[in-house]
Amino acid sequence: MSGVKGLTPQEALFSRVTIAFSFVILALGGLFGLLQALNRVPYFNLPEALQVSRETYYTILTCHGVCLAVAIPIFWITGFTVYMSPKILGRNLNKNALYLSLVMMLVGAVMATITILTGKARVLYTFYAPMKAHPAFYLGAALLILGSWVIAFAFFKQYIDWKRANPGKGTPIAVYGLLTTFIVWIEATIPIVITVLKDFIPMSLFGKHVDVLETRTWFWFFGHALVYFWLLPVVTMWYYAIPKRLGVPLFSESMAKVAFILFIIASTPVGLHHQFTDPGLAAGYKYIHTVITLIVATPSMLTAFNILATMERGGRARGGRGLLGWLWVQPWKDPLYAGLVVTLIVFGIGGITGIINASYQLNIVVHNTTWIVGHFHMTVATIVAVGYAATTYALLRDLYGRKLISRVAALSHSYLWLIGILVFSFAYYIAGLDGVPRRTYDLEYGGLAPDSWIGPLQTSAVGSIILFASGVLGVYAILGSLLLGKTRGYDIAGLNPGNPHDPPAAFNPILENLRLWVIVAAILIIVAYILPFYEMFSRGLSPVPPVEV
Amino acid sequence: MEHEHERQEIVYEYIWIVMVIAIVTGFAASIAYYGFALDLNPVCNATPIDVGAAKTEFKAGVENLGGGVYKVRILAGQFFWIPNKIVLENPKRVEFEITSQDVVHGFHVVGTSVNVMVIPGYVAQFTWYPPNDAEGTYLIVCTEYCGVGHDLMKATLEIKRTGAALEPAGGYLTDFGEYSEITYTSLEG
Repeated sequence: MSGVKGLTPQEALFSRVTIAFSFVILALGGLFGLLQALNRVPYFNLPEALQVSRETYYTILTCHGVCLAVAIPIFWITGFTVYMSPKILGRNLNKNALYLSLVMMLVGAVMATITILTGKARVLYTFYAPMKAHPAFYLGAALLILGSWVIAFAFFKQYIDWKRANPGKGTPIAVYGLLTTFIVWIEATIPIVITVLKDFIPMSLFGKHVDVLETRTWFWFFGHALVYFWLLPVVTMWYYAIPKRLGVPLFSESMAKVAFILFIIASTPVGLHHQFTDPGLAAGYKYIHTVITLIVATPSMLTAFNILATMERGGRARGGRGLLGWLWVQPWKDPLYAGLVVTLIVFGIGGITGIINASYQLNIVVHNTTWIVGHFHMTVATIVAVGYAATTYALLRDLYGRKLISRVAALSHSYLWLIGILVFSFAYYIAGLDGVPRRTYDLEYGGLAPDSWIGPLQTSAVGSIILFASGVLGVYAILGSLLLGKTRGYDIAGLNPGNPHDPPAAFNPILENLRLWVIVAAILIIVAYILPFYEMFSRGLSPVPPVEV
Repeated sequence: MEHEHERQEIVYEYIWIVMVIAIVTGFAASIAYYGFALDLNPVCNATPIDVGAAKTEFKAGVENLGGGVYKVRILAGQFFWIPNKIVLENPKRVEFEITSQDVVHGFHVVGTSVNVMVIPGYVAQFTWYPPNDAEGTYLIVCTEYCGVGHDLMKATLEIKRTGAALEPAGGYLTDFGEYSEITYTSLEG
């Protein structure tokens, strides 16, 4: 394979391997998702070949979560960043850091996946203590995360060097977004690394007794910032690629940077909103996290306005007239553009349901029901399955030297997902309001379950089949192109990062001072978490022994 | 002309920002009002318990304190609830205490606002005011994955209504129970 302009051979190798690998995992995790969605439907005569046992159900549920929610984002985002930043900044990443990170992440991911698939870590992706998994599960996860830190710090160094060499220049929006992504990632992963090293590995190896409330709090300290790590590269793509495709400037670049700063500040000190129904945490602290959760909704609202205004501007420039005429003239047949707009629409709906989850009285109604599952498949799953895939279509030519093997498959991947997710998630919203629990193999409860559960759950099965079909098309479009697209297929427009004709970013000292905003974030995180930790420690911890599952 | 148009666009942006701030502040204020003025909060109280003692000393069961007041103590474990059949007659106030003897479970009485995590090492304490129209058999499920038999954990809560207790349902916030100062103080007194 020939080189990639602007990238060192090591950078090209890193991006090629991580991005391709993430779609191999997507295929595996997606298949498991379909099996779960079908097996849990009550009164549904599933063909025997598709039926799984109770043990297998929870094994593949663990794998579905860990692969899709942890492994894919880490691989894809590091690969994407290593592709984008050298091209835009004109500086390369440290060669040894790339090798080290790649080896750590691959070894970690394979270790964790094998442990899960052999049934030695049936603990789901939240691995709540005191459930105990094989040590290889925790070590694999830790290696995967630490491997991504290597890239994060190499990227920070690259950016700081660029900044020193280019005083007074504004940071290009794509790099700004990716920096935000990795800053949030470091914020998120410090607590999980602390608790895995301090609690989980000793528990798994030596049977250490751990306090469950404390470990849950560490986990969700990580768990919600994690979702912004998944999301932010796609937000970056909205800001970077949508105006570029339309050939107009972004409506407001400074508002985009304000949104990213709000993500840095507010995406971590919100974890208690996953613990609203946890006993042992005071209402006042839960309320503080509620307010910060509402604050972190604001950058999404700013983004929605900014991107829609850019789309309108682009549509009018393309000759769209009247109130909605600008909508019809968008480049709907461009696989990248279609995918990005689908994620924007679906994320918008999913985000609104997130506000409901965050309102802590309403949370009591939906906590741990399928409502939550509907919510995060509209937000996270869509971002991963559509946003990452659509972006990858635009990388095929430049990064892999391949053509897109089927434009129809790539487009129907995005549009079919839009239909499937609306059916699936709305069915799960309705079921969740009716009290259907999540993470459950059998929903008949020996005939005790209300009959009203049956309709929405059977509808969700239809949705999951559509989603799976969409996933098959997406994986075919990407992996098929990598295997067969050397000579045949379509040349679709690439991202072309670092094009000298791109408009330069404006320089605004307060928006460029990321160090300041990281300090503000650190203070807010400490304030928001010192209170609940003080409550727990001053009451006295209550450690419990590990339990095999 | 071009300049004028751009200024118009920026005005829209500022209007949107003001709207966003208003929406978010409105939500935060209404949550605070319900939480702190009306005391409608999710379960927050817990006392530590030795998990070994939970198995032997925690007395699970239903106690009728009279006047429609019940004390319900529940022990969760892989994969059961003790007791797994709760019967309440004309309940006005139900004081729950729930703990786990092994891993995390979730206690949800489907169709009510009783939804709480059950954390080993801690006893969750909360009070439920069943709405007047709550009647019949409710399914109790485990809402947190607790091992391979997770979905086998089930129990029922039956509310029986007899005689004069059949008052018409009404009032606001039915989902959180008939929460009124009058009922509350008269029970306390």
